[in-house]
Amino acid sequence: MNSVDIKRLGKADELIKRIGREFGLDFMPQEFDVVPAQKMLEIMAYRLPVNYSHWSFGRDYEIERTRWEYGYAVPYEVVFNSNPARAYIMETNPSAIQILVMAHVYAHNDFMKNSRHFQATRRDMITSASEAASRFRAYEQDYGSDEVERLIDAAMSIEWNIDPDELLRPETEDEARERLYGWLKATPTGGGFDDLIPEKKRPQPAEKQKLRDKTPPEPTIDLLKYIIDSAPRRLREWEKDILTVVRNQALYFMPYRRTKIMNEGWATFWHEKIMNRLFAEKFLSPEEHGYYNLYNARVKAHNPRTINPYLLGWALFQNIEHRWNTGRFGPDYEACTSAAEKRDWDRHLNRGIEKIFEVRRTHMDWFFIDEFLNQEVIDDLELFIYQEVDKTTHLDLEVKETDWRKIKKVLVQNLMNWGIPRILVLDGNYHNSSQLYLKHEFEGLPLDDEYCRKTLEHVHFLWGRPVYLETNSLRTGGPITYYIDGDGIRVRTG
Amino acid sequence: MAVLMPDYDSSPRGLADAARHRERIKEAIKRNLPDIISDEAIITRRENQIVKVPIRGIKSFRFIHRQSDGASGGFGSGETEEGKVIGRRSKPGNDPAGKAGEEPGEDYMETEIDLAELIEMMLADLGLPNLRQKEVRETKILKGWKIDSLEKHGVRPRLDKKRTIKEAIKRTEAIIQALSQMSRKSEEECRAALDAAGGDPARALAILDAGPVSGKPGDPNAIFIDSSDLRYRTITEDTEFHSNAVILAMMDVSGSMGTMKKYLARSFYFWMTSFLKTIYQRVEIRFIAHTTEAKLVDEHEFFHKGESGGTSCWSAYDLATELIDLEYPTSRWNVYPFHFSDGEDWDVQRTVKSLEKMLERGVANFGYGEIQAEHSISALMDAFKQKIPLQSRIMEGFSFYEGLWGTSPMLGVVIKDKLDLYPALRVFLNTGKRGGGLQRFTG
Repeated sequence: MNSVDIKRLGKADELIKRIGREFGLDFMPQEFDVVPAQKMLEIMAYRLPVNYSHWSFGRDYEIERTRWEYGYAVPYEVVFNSNPARAYIMETNPSAIQILVMAHVYAHNDFMKNSRHFQATRRDMITSASEAASRFRAYEQDYGSDEVERLIDAAMSIEWNIDPDELLRPETEDEARERLYGWLKATPTGGGFDDLIPEKKRPQPAEKQKLRDKTPPEPTIDLLKYIIDSAPRRLREWEKDILTVVRNQALYFMPYRRTKIMNEGWATFWHEKIMNRLFAEKFLSPEEHGYYNLYNARVKAHNPRTINPYLLGWALFQNIEHRWNTGRFGPDYEACTSAAEKRDWDRHLNRGIEKIFEVRRTHMDWFFIDEFLNQEVIDDLELFIYQEVDKTTHLDLEVKETDWRKIKKVLVQNLMNWGIPRILVLDGNYHNSSQLYLKHEFEGLPLDDEYCRKTLEHVHFLWGRPVYLETNSLRTGGPITYYIDGDGIRVRTG
Repeated sequence: MAVLMPDYDSSPRGLADAARHRERIKEAIKRNLPDIISDEAIITRRENQIVKVPIRGIKSFRFIHRQSDGASGGFGSGETEEGKVIGRRSKPGNDPAGKAGEEPGEDYMETEIDLAELIEMMLADLGLPNLRQKEVRETKILKGWKIDSLEKHGVRPRLDKKRTIKEAIKRTEAIIQALSQMSRKSEEECRAALDAAGGDPARALAILDAGPVSGKPGDPNAIFIDSSDLRYRTITEDTEFHSNAVILAMMDVSGSMGTMKKYLARSFYFWMTSFLKTIYQRVEIRFIAHTTEAKLVDEHEFFHKGESGGTSCWSAYDLATELIDLEYPTSRWNVYPFHFSDGEDWDVQRTVKSLEKMLERGVANFGYGEIQAEHSISALMDAFKQKIPLQSRIMEGFSFYEGLWGTSPMLGVVIKDKLDLYPALRVFLNTGKRGGGLQRFTG
């Protein structure tokens, strides 16, 4: 890529910004770095432009590289929620594709600036990760790379067992205690409207004592934070630092995880509109249109093995726009039983664009799918569920379900809590001997046994004392409890 | 401008951590060695020492859900109908290596591994870690002559002038010091006196005692050589220990040896050579192709040229024996003759006799691999069993024949398909522990 190409991308940048704003998109400052393939694959594998070393990033790098070398996947773009937003585009892609990617990135930029779920995240993660990387290197020197690796292994095993909403209301254990029992608020009344508030019952001393000893004061899903704060193992400062970095990065990526379908759908929806304008304004040539069509089709390609979030999200936004333009929602529409009438239903509301902007501000995938996924979209995209069927020598992937209601139900179930099992910390001083008692909030889906055991080993390593996990059996659905101590893992029913 | 092309340092961080990951999946690679080593891409690879190995990465364990019925599956999109099979997957544990090309989107990857590293892993897996040089037979080679030491007596031509002058300077300076102490005069005066005395310390002392030394000052560079200063070189033979091995690769190339059989033989030779290279400083390989007649050929011809006609294995053994006598005497070479055939032979008796003659030369170990198709007749292995003291053994489910200790350095294996390759290599390398195979004649 030469300076002429770079200049052209600079021009495209200006145009995309202008067109985007005309469409009503609202951007943070945006910067693009054009990088070679190897760097791009690294950023994808390491999640951030510079991050600490870990074998799992190395593994992901090889996976990405293999996929790239075999042409299964063309890395398009990575964009970070920083200010200015920073995006990486691949040097070797043709210029039309890079411009497509830039338009796509600007829509992500709008999403990150305006979606409620991105508001609490820190915007200095790129620098922060790079600083963590050098601290970790120093730890490796001082404490040995095996020690550091062991700790990162353990931290990453529960990196998603955090509370993403914690950022909105950070609270210490004592603050939680106070909130729970309103000790401070039970101070003498001082006029105002106090007489309107029912009188608070002062907790009994025994109750108070019990609460003071109780840890955590109320069940928490932030297992990683609880371990950092309360592990009896006495984590040293550098160990706490590693766990905290892993947790902070997970918190940073949580909004991406919670809005994957929406975010990609939103970006695809708008890059198409912006690109069409760039062709209309003759900034892009007719031959480039061919490239664009080809790549855009790949972005939105059907995938028989998994749901393409670009395709599903795009289809949903299209559908919402159409429905709110024509007024196909609300009690009148729902009550209508005539298929013909429904087919031609048009109330000329033209509120489509307004609606999708509202949805992008408030929703995340779980509720987005629950609220807007309908038969029309499922049938259009021909979504289905497949299952692995054992054929002795191999497994057949067989289509099991094409009914839209079932598909929607299972999809929503899978997106529940963003696919992360809710593991609650119930007691950090179980049996009054610093044992950790965890409970899996069973919502119909059991835990994978192998993964559960291996993860518990990590939790036990971090905690340093025996750990319990109460869940439901895959086989019977009945309650079971895992118990791990220095001698290994046991499982008992009940 | 918002679009930049930063100048990144291209230190391959991904590769470094990938190496760590690879370290952790060594077990997985080891489990798949039988598959990996029979991968044609490795054997036909040219030049570089990096091979690509398809593997599945280590899982990152975390709490995850299962579907309530325990079945695995997922969502897809695109035109289909219920009951339709949209793909297939190998069962875990079955075909563990997999192929990167078959399952896009899966956690398959190709990892790059150094051939040397792979060989090391195989050797470790085969139970031969760290084969050291001294464990194999070494031969003493005359390299030339070298200086051994210096002595005070010797013949004129070996006088070491530099060392002699050095000794003289040392001695002269010592005398001047002594004179200066005894006469209490300056070093300059002592040097002048010694100069005037022609190097004789007694006379110099007399001159000094007689009064101030007049005349020109002593030449600071004057050196007086005494016979005690002379140094002569002695020399000895310079020798080096070499460990050389030669593989005499013999193969039946008659019509009955098909592509697959040749491929197996070729794979075997490839790995055998690779292993021996880690053990010996120098490994040579000579190719002998035979039908009814044997001839020395190059590698390409050996593996690619097929001929028709009959089979007389003795011709190959005779040629090998001749080569040993002429070029690879067993006093200086560890000779490893290998022979691959499909077991057909026109004159079994003669072949056995020729084999015995070759074994008498003191070869390190003779390996015979019989590549059997489903219905082939294996006249040769049976004949060997009758005539040569071989005993039947089984190693990890793979049966083979081994010559009795001290009588016949021979191993025989029967290879039926690709997966027999690894156990066969194991037999050839591992029997050394019990006194056979590779390390039979050590030290």
